[in-house]
Amino acid sequence: MISNPELESHPVKIIRLNKEKENRISLIKAVLLDIFFVFYSILVLQRAIYYKFILDLKDLPFSWVNIGILFFISIVIGTTWALTKTSLSCKLFGIAKDNKTTKWTVEIFGWFLFNITFIAGWIITRLSLVDLFSSEGIQGAERIFGAIFKPEFGIFDDAIFAMIETIYIALLATLISIPPTLILSFFTARNLMKGNKFTFVIYNILRLIFNFVRSIEPLIWAIIFSVWVGIGPFAGMIALLVHTIASNAKLYSEAIENIEEGPVEAITATGANKIQVVWYAVVPQIVLPFLSFTIYRWDINVRMATIIGLVGGGGIGTMLIQYQGLARWHEVGLIVLLIAFVVWIMDYISAKIREAIY
Amino acid sequence: MILKVKNLHKIYKNGTHALKGITFDVKEKEFLVIIGLSGSGKSTLLRCINRLIEPTSGTVEFLGKDITHVKGEELRKVKTQIGMVFQQFNLIKRRSVLTNVITGKLGQLKTFQSVFEKFPQEVYDEANKSLETVGIKEKALLRADSLSGGQQQRVAIARSLMQNPKLLLADEPVASLDPATSNSVMQYFEKINKELGTTVICNLHFLSLVRKYATRVIALKAGEIVYQGLPSEIDENWFRTIYGDEAEEVEIR
Repeated sequence: MISNPELESHPVKIIRLNKEKENRISLIKAVLLDIFFVFYSILVLQRAIYYKFILDLKDLPFSWVNIGILFFISIVIGTTWALTKTSLSCKLFGIAKDNKTTKWTVEIFGWFLFNITFIAGWIITRLSLVDLFSSEGIQGAERIFGAIFKPEFGIFDDAIFAMIETIYIALLATLISIPPTLILSFFTARNLMKGNKFTFVIYNILRLIFNFVRSIEPLIWAIIFSVWVGIGPFAGMIALLVHTIASNAKLYSEAIENIEEGPVEAITATGANKIQVVWYAVVPQIVLPFLSFTIYRWDINVRMATIIGLVGGGGIGTMLIQYQGLARWHEVGLIVLLIAFVVWIMDYISAKIREAIY
Repeated sequence: MILKVKNLHKIYKNGTHALKGITFDVKEKEFLVIIGLSGSGKSTLLRCINRLIEPTSGTVEFLGKDITHVKGEELRKVKTQIGMVFQQFNLIKRRSVLTNVITGKLGQLKTFQSVFEKFPQEVYDEANKSLETVGIKEKALLRADSLSGGQQQRVAIARSLMQNPKLLLADEPVASLDPATSNSVMQYFEKINKELGTTVICNLHFLSLVRKYATRVIALKAGEIVYQGLPSEIDENWFRTIYGDEAEEVEIR
C-alpha cells in the first residue's frame, strides 16, 4: 500500500493538539481552584477562628474593602502557586510536577484545609455537650418523651382522616406527575439529545430548570403555593407535584442514559428514524425502572406531604403543628406514632411492589 | 464493485487512532472476512462503512456513490440497504421474536405505523419468511430473551434479511457462541450469500471458520491492513504476522 505522508501526519497532529489544549484548560482550572482554596482558607482563619473564637465577637465586622483585599491576596498567591505546578489543584487536575515539593504541599495543605473546615464547623454550630446533658435539658427531654409515649386517643378518628388526606395528596401528586415526567425525561437524556447542537441546547436548558426546581425543597414550594392558591391540601399537592416532576425527570432520564446501547445501535443500523429508535430500542428497556421509581416516589411523597402540612399544606402535618402550638404533647404523641406507623407500612409495601416488578 | 473504501482514518475523541488509512474494494457476492486481534480496528471499520461511527477522513463508496458525507433522510436510505448483525445479537429482549424481526423493516415503514404497531399483512408475511430462512419460524411468538444464543443470533439475521440488504455486515457474529452453534450460524450466512446473492463482510476470530466460509480475507493489525488474499494462502508465517509470535492456532470444528 502506498502511504500518503500528508495524511500520515494529519491524525498525529490532531492527537498532539488535543493534548496541548487539554493541558491549557487544566491549568486554567487549577489556577481558579487554587485561588478559591487560598481565599477560603484566609476567610475561615479570619472570620471563624480569629473573630469568632479568639476574639469571641457576637457581631462579626464586615466590610467589602476587607473582603476585596483578601481576595486580591488570594489571586496573587493562588495564581503563583498554580503556575509553579506544585499545588493541590495541579495534582487534582493531573498536571503537577512529580517532585518532593508537590508531595509536601499536597499533604500539608490537604490536612490544613480539612482541619480548618472541621474547626470552623465546630465553632459555627456552637457544638455544646453542656446543653445536651444539663439537668434542665434532661428535664425537657423527659417531659416530651413521657407525653409521646402516653398518646391521647381522643383525637384518633380526626388523626386518621388527616392521615388519609395526606396519603391522597401524595398519591395524586405522584399520578399527575407521570405524563409530563415521561415526556420531559426523553428531552433530558444525554444519550438521546447530544446528537446535534439544537437538541443539546434544549437538553441543557431543561436540565438547568430541573436542577433549580429540585434544589428548592417541597417545603418552600408549599409556602409559595399556599400564597398562590391559598392554604390547604391543594397547595401541598401542587408543591409535591412540581418537585416530583423535577426529581423523577432526572431519575427517568438516568434510566434512559443507562440502557443497553446495543439495541439502539441495531435499530439505527436498519435505517429507522429517531422516533422509531426510541420506541423500539429505548422504551421497552425503561418501562420497569420507570414504574419502580414512580412507586418509590409515592412513598417519599407521603413523608414529604406530612412535612408540607406543617406549613399549611393540609393533612396530618397541619394537625401536628396545631397541637404542637398548643403544647398538647399527648396529642402530638399520638400523631407522631401514627405518622411513624404509616410511613413504615408505606415503605414496606413500596419495597414489596418494587421487588415483585423486577 | 459494491463497496470501495479509500484511505479511511478514524481517531476517537480520546486520541485512539483506530484506523490508519484502510483501502480495499469488495466485489458483488463476495464473502469477505476480516480477521485480527481484539482492538485491531475490525469493529470500527464495519461501523464506519454503515456510518454508525463517523470516519475522521477518507471515503466510503457504496454502489458507486460516495456515502461518507450523506446526511439525514439520504443516510437513512443508505442504511436500509446495509444489514448488520452484532456479537451481542442486540435484540429487544422483552419483545417477541416476530416484532424483533419486523424492526428490520422500520426504515421502510411510516412513523405512526410503527409506533402503533399496525403493520400491513405483507410485512408479517415477509417476517415469517425471514424466520423460515433461518429455520426458527415456530419461535415467532416467544419472547426474544427466552431463546438460546444461537437462536437469538438467527433472529438477528432474520431481522437484517427484512431489509433485503445489498450488503450484510457481521461484527463477530459467533464470538459469544459455542463452537457447534457457531458453525450452524455461519452456515446461514453462507446460505444468504450463495442463495440470495447478498454480499457479506464478516469479522471473525477463528481461522478454521475463515477457511471454511470466506472467499477472501483481509487481516487488520493496529488499524492497518497487513494481509489481503485467499483464505487458503494464510500459512504459519502470515498467522504469526497477524496474531503475533506468541500465538498458536486453535481449531474449532
